[in-house]
Amino acid sequence: MSRDDATADGSPHAGMPADATAATPLTESDPADDHYDVPSDATVVTCPRCGRPFVRERHRDLHLGQAHAGLGDDERAAYEAARDEEADELRRFRILSLGLLVVIYFGFLFLYAVAG
Amino acid sequence: MDRHSRSARVARRAAPLAVAALAALASAARVAAHAGGVRSATRETVTVPTWLFLATGGAVVGASFLLASAVTDRAYIRRIDTWGRALPDAGRVARLLARALGLAALAVTVVAGLFGPGTATESAAVLIVWVGWWAAFVLSAYLFGNAWPAVDPFRVIAGALPSLDRPYPERLGSWPAVAGLLALVYLEVVTPMADDPRLLTGLVLGYLGVSVVGSVVFGVDDWFDTADPVSRLLDAYGRVAPVARGTDGGLRLRIPGMALTDAEWIDGRDDIGFVVAVVFVTTYDGFVGTAVWADIARPFIEVGAPALIVYLAAMLAGYGLFLALYLASARAARRTADTYLAPGELARRFAPSLLAIAAGYHLAHNLATALSLSPTLAVVLTSPLSPPATHPVVLVPGGVGGVGVAAVLGGPLLAVWVAHSTAYDLFPDRLQAVRSQYGVTVAMVAYTMASLWIVSRPAGAPPFV
Repeated sequence: MSRDDATADGSPHAGMPADATAATPLTESDPADDHYDVPSDATVVTCPRCGRPFVRERHRDLHLGQAHAGLGDDERAAYEAARDEEADELRRFRILSLGLLVVIYFGFLFLYAVAG
Repeated sequence: MDRHSRSARVARRAAPLAVAALAALASAARVAAHAGGVRSATRETVTVPTWLFLATGGAVVGASFLLASAVTDRAYIRRIDTWGRALPDAGRVARLLARALGLAALAVTVVAGLFGPGTATESAAVLIVWVGWWAAFVLSAYLFGNAWPAVDPFRVIAGALPSLDRPYPERLGSWPAVAGLLALVYLEVVTPMADDPRLLTGLVLGYLGVSVVGSVVFGVDDWFDTADPVSRLLDAYGRVAPVARGTDGGLRLRIPGMALTDAEWIDGRDDIGFVVAVVFVTTYDGFVGTAVWADIARPFIEVGAPALIVYLAAMLAGYGLFLALYLASARAARRTADTYLAPGELARRFAPSLLAIAAGYHLAHNLATALSLSPTLAVVLTSPLSPPATHPVVLVPGGVGGVGVAAVLGGPLLAVWVAHSTAYDLFPDRLQAVRSQYGVTVAMVAYTMASLWIVSRPAGAPPFV
């Protein structure tokens, strides 16, 4: 499936959160080149503007905010909620990866002390 | 050329096992790894056990993925990706000069190869092809920009002939280029191509013949842009470089490697196959020079299998496995990222990042050659048919070996960032972007460890051939 929305290349909407205010679209630069493969029995969340299929509502809401201009109030609210949820999960991932980095660092410190 | 094959994949699959097993062995047999074992050049001995050396390399790539994923500002990632300056195009005079230079180099190669001295270090043919072209020119393609289309003498000669302009069979795609690249590396490995000027000249003329026939039948642009392995190889390396042609056709300066986030030039599985072939031939070339390959091949040779077949089988099996491994990592991305993007689409978008790895590996293996033998090339070129008896060889300082290890690591680090940037471009959810990279990162870690393993082995000539 490919999509053909003219709005994807428009500037993102004013009033978006800080890191989404650049003059260029922030994701999915060349929509016509995207190819999807949706299993026939899958639950699909579809973008109402361009028909892109998503696995989760959160992905669709984020996509709407990033790729389409002129969101309705509901869509804006959904986008902001999705961003908050995404940010929370990212924070958890960061803490986890920081922990992992510490383990790698001290693990190798130990290995070098023993074997190096 | 750079080497390695079947056991890159063996090493990949066995890496965790090997680390555990080697850990047990290491206390008994402490291996001094020769880091930067660039053929005949550097000999810098690292005194840590090989397994630790490899594990550290793998961990550096893995850790860099974790660090890259801490950068979550879409606008910032996008800015790095799209930063660029338009550059003035080379003028007509420069283009004519480049073309003349290419033709002159080809002429000198053929004449010196056929009628000049027969020893490798005195032959202008051997030095032009291996030092001037394969080491220095290819290096310039990914460090600065790919100038091959301007220089390519084969294209000039083929383009001067009339063409039948038959339509290029689309279903063949880039597979002829894949086959051609594998064939060239195979010939380089199983024949004394690097030592025998006559044989090398034969190959150059053979390649010219194939190019001429191909472009006479299908048209010069179709042939050289799709099926010609050498043009495609340099084009692929050139995408790592900071200078490249933008979408408008003008030259553009970008941050090195960022052109790899554009995958428009990858049409389908054939182009993915070509990228994987570029990574694979580097590895195959290195691997067949190691003692492990001799041990693997010996039983087959002893039962009477012809060495040429054993080498070919190893190459095809290794390439098939490399391709399968990469496609599997793309399929894994579909699962981990929770997306309906087709596996083929994911494979297509992440494929160019692998070229950074191939470039790093090429640099590791050829920088010393380019530096140490360039003066020899210059001196021999002053009189290609009867070169002076003594020629200078630059003693490459030991630090260059360190550059080799840095390049083997630097390639994957760049690749990790390219994959990160690509993932942010693909997915609306940043968690998806992070998770989509798990498979590719595992492949990159495994690949780096295999490369470091080869670089740490003393390099020898391929056995039995």
